[in-house]
Amino acid sequence: MIRFENASVTYPGGVEALKNVSLEIPDGQMVVIVGLSGAGKSTLIRAINGLVPLSGGRVVVGERDVTSADKAELRALRSEIGMIFQGFNLVKRTSVLNNVLMGRMYQTSTWRTLLGLYPAADREIAMQALERVEIVEKAYVRASNLSGGQQQRVGIARALAQQPNVLLADEPVASLDPPTSHVVMRDLQRIKRELGITVVTNLHFLDLAREYGERIIGLRAGEVVFDGTGDQADEHVFRDIYGRSLTADDVMEARAEL
Amino acid sequence: MATTETRPPRTSVRPDAPTPYARISLLAIVVIAFGWSLFASGLELSDLLTGLARFPRLFGQMFLPPDWSYVGRAMEGMIESVQIAWLGTIIGATLSLPLALLAAKNVTGSVSSSVARQFLNGFRAFPELILAILFVTVVGLGPVAGMLAIGIHSIGTLGKLASEVVEGIDPGPIEASQAVGGSWLQRMRWGVLPQAMPEIVAFWLYRFEINIRASAILGVIGAGGVGAILSNTVVYRRWDKAGMTLIVVVGATLLIDAISGRIRRRIIEGPARGEGPTEDRPATAAAEVV
Amino acid sequence: MSWQGPAAVLGFLVLTWWAWVGIELSIGEIVQNISNAGRIIEELLDPAWGALNNTYGPFLETIRMAVIASVIGCSVALVVGFLASRVSAPDVVTFGVSKSVMSVIRSIPDVLYALVFVTVFSIGPMAGILALILFNIGVVAKLLSETVDGVDPGPIEAADAAGATLMQRVRTAVFPQVLPNYLAYSLYVFELNIRASAVIGLVGAGGIGQFLNVARNAFRYDVISVIVIEIFVFVFVIETISIAIRRRLV
Repeated sequence: MIRFENASVTYPGGVEALKNVSLEIPDGQMVVIVGLSGAGKSTLIRAINGLVPLSGGRVVVGERDVTSADKAELRALRSEIGMIFQGFNLVKRTSVLNNVLMGRMYQTSTWRTLLGLYPAADREIAMQALERVEIVEKAYVRASNLSGGQQQRVGIARALAQQPNVLLADEPVASLDPPTSHVVMRDLQRIKRELGITVVTNLHFLDLAREYGERIIGLRAGEVVFDGTGDQADEHVFRDIYGRSLTADDVMEARAEL
Repeated sequence: MATTETRPPRTSVRPDAPTPYARISLLAIVVIAFGWSLFASGLELSDLLTGLARFPRLFGQMFLPPDWSYVGRAMEGMIESVQIAWLGTIIGATLSLPLALLAAKNVTGSVSSSVARQFLNGFRAFPELILAILFVTVVGLGPVAGMLAIGIHSIGTLGKLASEVVEGIDPGPIEASQAVGGSWLQRMRWGVLPQAMPEIVAFWLYRFEINIRASAILGVIGAGGVGAILSNTVVYRRWDKAGMTLIVVVGATLLIDAISGRIRRRIIEGPARGEGPTEDRPATAAAEVV
Repeated sequence: MSWQGPAAVLGFLVLTWWAWVGIELSIGEIVQNISNAGRIIEELLDPAWGALNNTYGPFLETIRMAVIASVIGCSVALVVGFLASRVSAPDVVTFGVSKSVMSVIRSIPDVLYALVFVTVFSIGPMAGILALILFNIGVVAKLLSETVDGVDPGPIEAADAAGATLMQRVRTAVFPQVLPNYLAYSLYVFELNIRASAVIGLVGAGGIGQFLNVARNAFRYDVISVIVIEIFVFVFVIETISIAIRRRLV
């Protein structure tokens, strides 16, 4: 269970990215967050694992309070929350396997990490994560030699190697073409189903959001303006969230045809 | 980035870990070379330790306190070093520019380019101090020999860097001046230099900073500057005076670095953009000790 | 803006005039002395190849000094370089201290280190190696810290999100990104050490430079010529190899 209690984030420049957000996300749900860019989607995601500190209110993940966690507690908390990124954030100059092993760092002692000597059990977990996203044959290839879709699958494997309870995905398909986007989204859906992990993801395209989200949360200027199922989220709702009429840019299939 | 892809079959197998031959051999070479060097050079650990044990005391003799009365003498020497570096840089800058244009592949033929390159490499190959040894015999002891040594060496380094800058410029303006029928010199003057000059001038200033370090030691062989004072105070173990001189050298070097770094930033970015990380560009950094 | 151009020109002229007067530059004297150059150039152009045999020992010593100093200097620089970048320093104080230590180390010329070390450790390669080590730390740490400043921040965020400690983050997210550059800098510094050891040897810090100094004191320009050619050839070979390796690395 992830719980936001009147959570607010104000950035040093004075920008209010989140205003008094209160939410409850039960375990095993696939939640899609939609909104214009700048509406606070990325901030909401990063508030869950403490990459962005709150300026007011509370965020609780499971039993742990993110807001009051010290450095060590924060690392413990983050180790249970996997994260995937819009730009994949892989270390491109090293192998796929080394990237996935980053997901095992919390369980590995510092000296083993320094020497790159991960225990066999951790390597096994990393390999299984790669198998789960069906890219294990690339384990020893340099990350820079993979296509965008393959890199994102490695990103997912890295998150899975943490054996997380929660998976955060910040615009996971924004850098991918439509068919690859569907592949990645279906991967996330399957992982959620098979492992029962909570998935919280940002998506820009409303057709993707409606197709993959069990629950859709609409953000506008840092406030939750919609919270419901994909079926409830019709065009009127999106118009409301976006504060303007919809354009071809908001629908992936429509944009792909342009 | 965006590429369509088909999924691999579900029955994909794990690959075997490749043996990192390159890495292993590199490591082996380094370890063997290091071991051989250490073994064959006959270094004694005890010598190292007794030497190191002397340092705390030496540090005290040099700096706690330094001989403040010596500051004037040290400054005199340092000023001469700065003057040597300045004139040497001017010599290097002036003479390197035509060579750099000749060495840049994109504005000259390949023959003249490789000939000019060899010249630059030749100048670069001789360290300032070795050049200074030769110049001292030619023009006598004193700062003039130092200036010439620094100037000649700078031709090589500055010419190499400037030719790289010229090779990186936008070819549009060169073609334009070619199209209106300009001569080679006109093309250089109007098509090439305006683009390349800010970066080249920044390298000149950077070289000036390096040349100050170089000229501070030329006095060791009698080529002027603060080096003679340093050498004498150390050799005759006048540690408090050596300490004072060292403070002056480090202080002056850092001060001039700071000023010159600021000007370089202005030249590269223009005054509008203010302070930026220009100093941290690896290109400039790589110019350092070439 | 408009005053800056003239001000720069004026500053340039004043500095040049000041330097000119300061070192008592007299073109006439130089021209007069140039005639001395005849004999020296003659000797330089006629290298005493017979001395080549005597140079092998000192030259090997130079190579050994360069190897030891490069390995140790670059290892230390690896730590200092990471501490001197905002990206990888544990806190602001460590960052500031490392950065200033780095500039002080770099502001002292290698010959100066050699001078001091020769008086402390006596004449020989030990003093030279230590001087080169400090020189290498200065160069490599600076280049490395600048490279670290410029790494892709994405993987760092990923490491943080996975619960990494600072050391783990630096090792897994930063180090692989800068490794090729670091190796290139290390090769580069090895090359510089061969050249530099000719210079520091002049004050008694071992290697080919010490031999060079003997030749200098005997005014044997034909021997100096042999040594200079030898260094030139060796540096050229090393440079060619290291450029080939560096191209494959980066």
